[in-house]
Amino acid sequence: MRHFLVMTAFAALAGIVFGTVAKNSAREQFMYGLKVFAEFMIIGLVLAWILYFIPF
Amino acid sequence: MTTVDEQTEGAPTRAWLMGAAAWLVPGLGHLLQGKWWRALLLSGAVWICFIAGFQMGGHLFKYTGSEPGLSALLQVPPMIANLGNGLAYIVCWLWDYGFAHGEQQAALPTFEFGWTFLLVAGLLNYLAMLDAFDIAARRKS
Repeated sequence: MRHFLVMTAFAALAGIVFGTVAKNSAREQFMYGLKVFAEFMIIGLVLAWILYFIPF
Repeated sequence: MTTVDEQTEGAPTRAWLMGAAAWLVPGLGHLLQGKWWRALLLSGAVWICFIAGFQMGGHLFKYTGSEPGLSALLQVPPMIANLGNGLAYIVCWLWDYGFAHGEQQAALPTFEFGWTFLLVAGLLNYLAMLDAFDIAARRKS
């Protein structure tokens, strides 16, 4: 659970910075930040499940 | 339409100063340009990342030269990432705070998250620094 929370915090912080610097309007910043956050979370979970089945 | 060369040559001194301010203190480059909302978001994210890194037991990197041969150079990339934290890294370096880690600290389950957060805090601040530079150079609003 701790690892998931840390990953969520990491994705949120990265999403805030990427969204803020990459777009100009508040709506665009929010949507892009949300997209980056979702991408980090989804890729993190997919990688975690792949690594779970690797026996070393 | 301007070329990349024209944009680079056209960057005023103010843009370099804003970039330096943004590197030195996260959010300061935007704050000085009246971009309060951006300053709040960027400085908040970078500082939270930096403080959380230490809270999780992380440590900073610096080039010591004590490692044998070329392996000493492995300290350089993470040091450059940490250096992105600006004044915070310099203060830690002057006080020799946060560079070493004991066995107890290394045994923490969040130890590796910690130094990763510290690296990422610096890298995110580099992005914020470039953003402050671009705004001051009028390449973006």
